Amino acid sequence: MSRSKLKKLGLNLPILPMTSVGSFPKPPYLLEARKKFAAKQMKHADLRELEIRATREWIRKQESLGIDVMVDGEMYRGDMVAYFAENWEGFKTSGLVRSYGNRYYRKPIIVGEVKAKGPLTVDWWKFVQSLTEMPLKGMVTGPYTMMDWLFNEYYPTRRDACLAMAKVIRGEVKSLVKAGAKIIQIDEPAISARPEELPEFAIEAMKDVTKGIDAYFITHICYGAFEFIYPEMLKLSVDNFDLEMSNSGLDLLKLFKKHPFTKDISFGVTDIHTHVIESNELVEQRIRSALEVLKPEQVWVDPDCGLKTRTTEEAIGKLKAISVAVKKIRRELEA
Amino acid sequence: MELKAANNGSYPRISDDDQRHRQAYAKLDSKEIAWDDFEKVQDEVTRDAIEEQAKAGLDIVTDGQIRWYDPVSHIARNLEGCEINGLLRFFDTNFYFRQPVIKGKISRRDSLAKEYRFASGVSSKPVKQVITGPYTEAKLSINNSKADFRALVDEFAKVIAQEVKDLAGAGAKFVQIDEPAILKKPADFAILEKAVKKISAAKGGIELSLCTYFGDAAPLYKKLVTLPVDTLSFDFTYSPSLPDLIAEKGCEKNLGLGIIDGRNTRLDDKDNVLAKIVKIMPAVEGETIYIMPSCGIGDYLPRGTAFKKLQIVAETTEKARQMK
Repeated sequence: MSRSKLKKLGLNLPILPMTSVGSFPKPPYLLEARKKFAAKQMKHADLRELEIRATREWIRKQESLGIDVMVDGEMYRGDMVAYFAENWEGFKTSGLVRSYGNRYYRKPIIVGEVKAKGPLTVDWWKFVQSLTEMPLKGMVTGPYTMMDWLFNEYYPTRRDACLAMAKVIRGEVKSLVKAGAKIIQIDEPAISARPEELPEFAIEAMKDVTKGIDAYFITHICYGAFEFIYPEMLKLSVDNFDLEMSNSGLDLLKLFKKHPFTKDISFGVTDIHTHVIESNELVEQRIRSALEVLKPEQVWVDPDCGLKTRTTEEAIGKLKAISVAVKKIRRELEA
Repeated sequence: MELKAANNGSYPRISDDDQRHRQAYAKLDSKEIAWDDFEKVQDEVTRDAIEEQAKAGLDIVTDGQIRWYDPVSHIARNLEGCEINGLLRFFDTNFYFRQPVIKGKISRRDSLAKEYRFASGVSSKPVKQVITGPYTEAKLSINNSKADFRALVDEFAKVIAQEVKDLAGAGAKFVQIDEPAILKKPADFAILEKAVKKISAAKGGIELSLCTYFGDAAPLYKKLVTLPVDTLSFDFTYSPSLPDLIAEKGCEKNLGLGIIDGRNTRLDDKDNVLAKIVKIMPAVEGETIYIMPSCGIGDYLPRGTAFKKLQIVAETTEKARQMK
């Protein structure tokens, strides 16, 4: 439990802090602009202006719902892996690869030593943080997921590629912390891809990213085959695990009963794969189930995953349900 | 003992220069063309995929599984008692399949033999028909039927045994049953065994193969070799100890060496591949060793790279022949 760490960092968060995982839906005007930009019919500066407008709107929305720890909504990002690969050295783009059905994408290939060209997300983080009094997460994609979701033609092994990624990501994290970020989220959705690699090098890579850096670290994991990596995954050197809980009917709580969950958790209480907006009561019920197994001081509350695949209305509806349910339970806990 | 260069399963349907399939699919979705028009494009693309495999130098090709939406729902779509649900990640890949939902007793509406007949009709090389196996189908489905998991695997086995029988009737010589899911739960081996026995009983003159990938087959090797199949195929990229294990334990069956990495664009070091083949060769008592990619390459590699990978398959097979 890292309440003391949060305090030391100057973060006085209420009990059951509310947050989001990272992405929000892009408004129609931004989707349109991104299409135009891709077709070279729009200048980057004009696109940027609209990204800023959309980001401002999402910050205001989060504030009005009483969210405690902000995210920027990732209005400027497409893919969480390609975004970094496209802006770092050592990559080229592949031919088309199928994602599902008739969907294809270009998967970056590591062809040389991976290096940053300088801080990538820092100026944007500073700008967005200046829009709000509430703390804003710094967001990076984790070394294991970067390695697993890229082609690698340069590093001899998966381990080598992962540890090389860790080095570059550490640089980005340090820059974010230097700029004032106190909460850093390292997204590792792929962490359970090959469970045997968790002790072999994924834990080491996370340590390489976070070691000795004065910040509160969250890692976001989804699509997890948790039965294969729990409780081993608790060794990842972060303070908080942001987990997709609701999509699997809170099944993970059974694992937590068998082996206590020893860190903080950002407990996903709304399923991002469904268009249905959960009722306040359902969200409340999920939080209460969490509190049967976890201590209130351990628990943060958020949606299962990034909300970018939902409509704006659905995303706001899901956040609102969280806000109402958390505020109700908070009052009870504080009484 | 013979060495043959073979594809594992799928082959990419589009490339940067050839997006006929993607465009036709989009037109089908927006109802600009009818299903029959789309099928004509699928025929063309299947023919080209087969030709490319032959051009790369393969001895055994597949139809590229061009018509397969994904490895799981293609079988399930054809079943009464089954609906198709949302997307789910396919094992540890970046590819997503649609999850079948089993509502009741399952039975076939149609047969894969139609696909086999088309492919073998346009191919200059023998065509291997690939089918996702009963255990993996059941494992990756949502089971809302009255049957428990074991009973569901049995039902799938029955359906796939009928499929194999139809394929034998259509003249198929090679059928590969894919069972990647068993590597995630080796304790279910007895369930798999029962299903494979049912399929094997229907195989007639077919050379029946069982293929696993996306996991280390070494811990299950001793049991897998007891299955009533003619050929066993493994993914060597997950299994560093497998060449030594096979060299030590031997193999009375034909062996498929999934030894060319089907998931990464790096072109495999031919000497390294050859060294593994040479280590395994003397231990194989079966009639044939197939050199293959580690998995289907259609959903993981760009087409240009996939072609080069198959060329490596053919070249290393040829070199190994010379070293026999």
